[in-house]
Amino acid sequence: MELFTILLPEILLIATALVLFLFGVSKSPVGRQVVPWVALAGLALSMIAAWAQAGSAGEGRLDWSGAVLINGFTDYVRFLAGGIGVFFVLLSWPTNRERTGNIALGFGADAGEFFGLILLSLAGIMLVGSANDTILLFMAIELASIPTYVLVAMSRPLPAAQEAGVKYFYLGAMSAAVMLLGFAYLYGITGTTNLIETGQVLSGARPGIGYEGPSDPVLRPTTWHMLGIVFVILGFAFKLAAVPLHFYAGDVYAGAATPITALLSFVPKASGIVATVKVLLVVGGNGFALPPDTWKLLYAIAVLSMFFGNSLALLTDNLKRVMAYSSIAHSGYMLVALTVMAAGAAYRPVDEAGVVRGGAVLVTGGAWGPQAIGGVLFYLVAYGIMNIGVFGVLMMLPNRARVTDADGNVRRLPATSAETYADIAGAGRRYPWLAVAMTICCISLIGIPLTVGFLGKLYILWPAVSLAGDSAVTRSGQVAMWWLVGLTVLNAAIGAAYYLRIIAAMVLQPSQEEDDAEAEGRVYAPPPAPRQPLPFVVATTLSVVGVIVLGVLPPAINVLNSRTEEAREALIRSRQLSLPVATPMRSVTPAE
Amino acid sequence: MSLLLPTLLLVPVIGAAACLLVPVRLARWVALATAAVELILALPLAGAAFGGGVVAWAPAGWIVEGLNAGVRLGCDGVSWWLILLTAFLQPLAVLGSFAGIKQREKSYYFWLTALVTPMVGTFLARDGLLFYVFFELTLVPMFFLIGIWGGEERRFAARKFFLFTFVGGVFTLAAVLYLGVAGGSFAFEAMTLQGQSIANPTLKVLLFVALFTGLAVKTPLFPVHTWLPLAHTVAPTAGSVILAGVLLKLGTYGILVLAIPMGLLSDVALPGVEGDGLLPVMRDTVIPAVALLCIIGIIYGALVAWVQQDVKKLVAYSSVSHLGFCVLGLIALNTIGLQGGVFYMISHGISTGALFLLVGMIYDRYHTRMFKDYGGLGKVMPIFSFFMVLFTMSSIGLPGTNGFVSEFLTILGGFTSPYLGPWYGAFAAIGVILGAVYMLYMVARLIFGPLKLPEVHASGTHAFDEPSEAHGASGHTHALPDGLPRDLNAREIGLLTPLAIVVIVLGIVPTPLLDSILPDVQRYGRPIVPQLIEEQPSEGSSGGRRPGSPRSIGLQPSN
Repeated sequence: MELFTILLPEILLIATALVLFLFGVSKSPVGRQVVPWVALAGLALSMIAAWAQAGSAGEGRLDWSGAVLINGFTDYVRFLAGGIGVFFVLLSWPTNRERTGNIALGFGADAGEFFGLILLSLAGIMLVGSANDTILLFMAIELASIPTYVLVAMSRPLPAAQEAGVKYFYLGAMSAAVMLLGFAYLYGITGTTNLIETGQVLSGARPGIGYEGPSDPVLRPTTWHMLGIVFVILGFAFKLAAVPLHFYAGDVYAGAATPITALLSFVPKASGIVATVKVLLVVGGNGFALPPDTWKLLYAIAVLSMFFGNSLALLTDNLKRVMAYSSIAHSGYMLVALTVMAAGAAYRPVDEAGVVRGGAVLVTGGAWGPQAIGGVLFYLVAYGIMNIGVFGVLMMLPNRARVTDADGNVRRLPATSAETYADIAGAGRRYPWLAVAMTICCISLIGIPLTVGFLGKLYILWPAVSLAGDSAVTRSGQVAMWWLVGLTVLNAAIGAAYYLRIIAAMVLQPSQEEDDAEAEGRVYAPPPAPRQPLPFVVATTLSVVGVIVLGVLPPAINVLNSRTEEAREALIRSRQLSLPVATPMRSVTPAE
Repeated sequence: MSLLLPTLLLVPVIGAAACLLVPVRLARWVALATAAVELILALPLAGAAFGGGVVAWAPAGWIVEGLNAGVRLGCDGVSWWLILLTAFLQPLAVLGSFAGIKQREKSYYFWLTALVTPMVGTFLARDGLLFYVFFELTLVPMFFLIGIWGGEERRFAARKFFLFTFVGGVFTLAAVLYLGVAGGSFAFEAMTLQGQSIANPTLKVLLFVALFTGLAVKTPLFPVHTWLPLAHTVAPTAGSVILAGVLLKLGTYGILVLAIPMGLLSDVALPGVEGDGLLPVMRDTVIPAVALLCIIGIIYGALVAWVQQDVKKLVAYSSVSHLGFCVLGLIALNTIGLQGGVFYMISHGISTGALFLLVGMIYDRYHTRMFKDYGGLGKVMPIFSFFMVLFTMSSIGLPGTNGFVSEFLTILGGFTSPYLGPWYGAFAAIGVILGAVYMLYMVARLIFGPLKLPEVHASGTHAFDEPSEAHGASGHTHALPDGLPRDLNAREIGLLTPLAIVVIVLGIVPTPLLDSILPDVQRYGRPIVPQLIEEQPSEGSSGGRRPGSPRSIGLQPSN
């Protein structure tokens, strides 16, 4: 029964999703009209449940099996998923007459399934935040991912969307296998699937089965330990669309309908980041000390992701691909903070008395690890908000591409909004407000001050700079960190080039019509902008307001900061929890 | 008094918003009124420059927790003069746009007015992060000013301008972040103390280079100057005036308040640091290297300016050359050089701003800026020619104009600096000669020789032409199609006269300016510790600093 109480927000979302699946049988537009409202109501109920629970967990609440752990971190993830989730429901709102989709989206008669899947995906992120067991964690990540495979395929009646769905599914299945393999290795060396127990076994605080490695697992981890970590990180890299598992991003993002692209750039990423933070905190053991080389792996992934993402985005003309590649780069930025967290924790094994053990000490103190976790959590919010604004604007701009069907009629592509630079060229004249929104969101993505994107970058760089300047760090460690800082700021600058191109296309460049008019010597007066559906306007406005409020007003920033701080402290504290009840997995005692 | 500081930042924001709300026809007047209010508000702060000490405003609620960064404002002598320069040029820039800007006026005046806040903010910031915030925020309005209302290639120029400055800026940010985080606070004092306490030469040099990169791009120094000629040439007249007059000064001002005290100077208590507060590597390598870049910029900029076919491009390249002097003076690190550098910032803002206005005026008339289209303008445009020659003389550095004082002081700074020496002064002096060559070449081609005027474009080609304004169109027989008379009209003369007065006044009585910035440049140019020891008794005894002549200051270089 307690499990039911502490997982109430997730359960409410899943229940709403099931109700929505029932709506799927309704064939009338009226039924489809009700669906998004039901989805919103489900989200609201879930948020109310999460809010009622928030903070009550104190030091954390475990269920009877120890597989679910609710604490401040869980609260943060729940609000993050629910809050950003509202935007996806708004952007997917069926606004056409038959309620089969909107200008950028066409799910046919399947509105119930469509919104149900969105809610399932969000429930998946929330579960990642509360999972305390590798098996539940794996299921939660897949609960966040599997609905997105379906959503991609059903989002547009176009071959490209189906192709994207299939491609995404196969690669996703492969990466899930890799991740599972990593979890299996971790189980193999510790004899437990419980995350807290895994950490305690690895730090030597608790005996585990089958673990016969060296006396100091942190400084000299076994091969299996390292393999486990590598596989887990690679599995997560797929969810993050980080190099080397980023290949699907371009095709999948471009194939999906624009609102689903927005969802893709947030949901899997959020689940991946949350899971990475969770697992990294655990696999090193209770001294928050990761095996020495973990941070090097993360370092490489972060730097390559930034460079690949930003360079590919520079070379592309399709805006959805640009956003796909830019999302790879943003994963890179978040991984920079995770690298700092891992590096700050590396080589810092501390025993119960607080004495630093081992000879190869890189860091003797400093709060950079926790700071980095706070930075990542902040960045997730920032990225979610500013990214949605861009997709919201893209949705409301028309596509120029025309196709000739079998009968020789020239038609618009169904359920397709602006996709290329040519589509948005000069749109600022006809849609000034959309241009304002796009400019603000792009400026935030660049990281110009007075936007949330600037603060996000700041909180990512802050721990890295602190670590680089920490005199307790070895010289090579300092050099590595300075390079990381340098490469990150360099990438922020590369990124500026294509975001500026978006702004320039929309605001500075003349549109095709304007050019034609000028060629004919006419004065170009843009036709009045069409009335945009309210849900899109609300979503985009909220995102723009969020970008500015969280970037300008210190009180708002301080509130968000205190939330991230609470979340990270809860997460770090949770590693010291003693499990009250023996889990079934741990029933085998270690050999004498 | 201290509430004036946030007011100075708020007024342009309100004015900019008002520009969007009022009818199109009123937008320019709102912008002008805002600029005038800003100028009036800046005047009472004069006390900060003349003995009143730093005016500061740092409310506790506006600091972001954790980072310990936030709104910390302060105005000292150098800040005040630069704010005054900004507030002085802004109304002229607005007035100078009346004839040239005919489309999308509301958003034009919005961006032009909105630009003031980050410019003034940069000069007022006493917090490293806030400095960066304002420093980068100037990019957005300028990006649109160039990109929408610029000439040919405007979109490319706008993006190049943005990217260059942004790329440089992020390295400055990294260094600022490091100093702020390691020092526990982003307040300038804390960052300076932290920066000066670094004993590791490699780290110190890295820090200086990172800090300096963004500021050097903005200034711009030699290898990273390539965005400037394009942006200046393409920008609308007011954009060029503000760009040359104020935006470039953000870079040199940053060098004075960030790069020198935090990056270059060290605590004299550190091993290997002598009384002047410099690590040997700074003294032997970094300062000469920066000075060398300045010298290359001075000479290269002058040579390139000489061969330009476009008047505006010539003026743009002259900025590359001139800013080389300015940084040379600052990096000489003696009192006279630092004073000269600051003086140069003001003086360059005035004379180059005026030259851009003049170029804009002939462009408004004939829609061309090529030398080949003009000749003998002195015959038909005597008033224009008068101002042109005056500002050219100022730019060359003719004694009696502000240009002379600033060039003389910076070169003298290079000469007498213990780190640079006569060679640097001598090569900088070559730049003065070359400066005279290309500026006189420009005057000769435009003003003297046989009369040559370009074909006037028919007014119908400009789709956004409005009915011509009232400016004196009736009284002149030689009225041009855009409603402008052949020679300058009253608005244009009114625009240039204040600049001309300043040129002469600063040239004849530079002492008040030089004296008022003396304590500030000494504060920035010396390590903190000896300054505390030396200055405290003198503050008490001097009781109202007596302004000495610039010469008397010049006789006690490198204190």
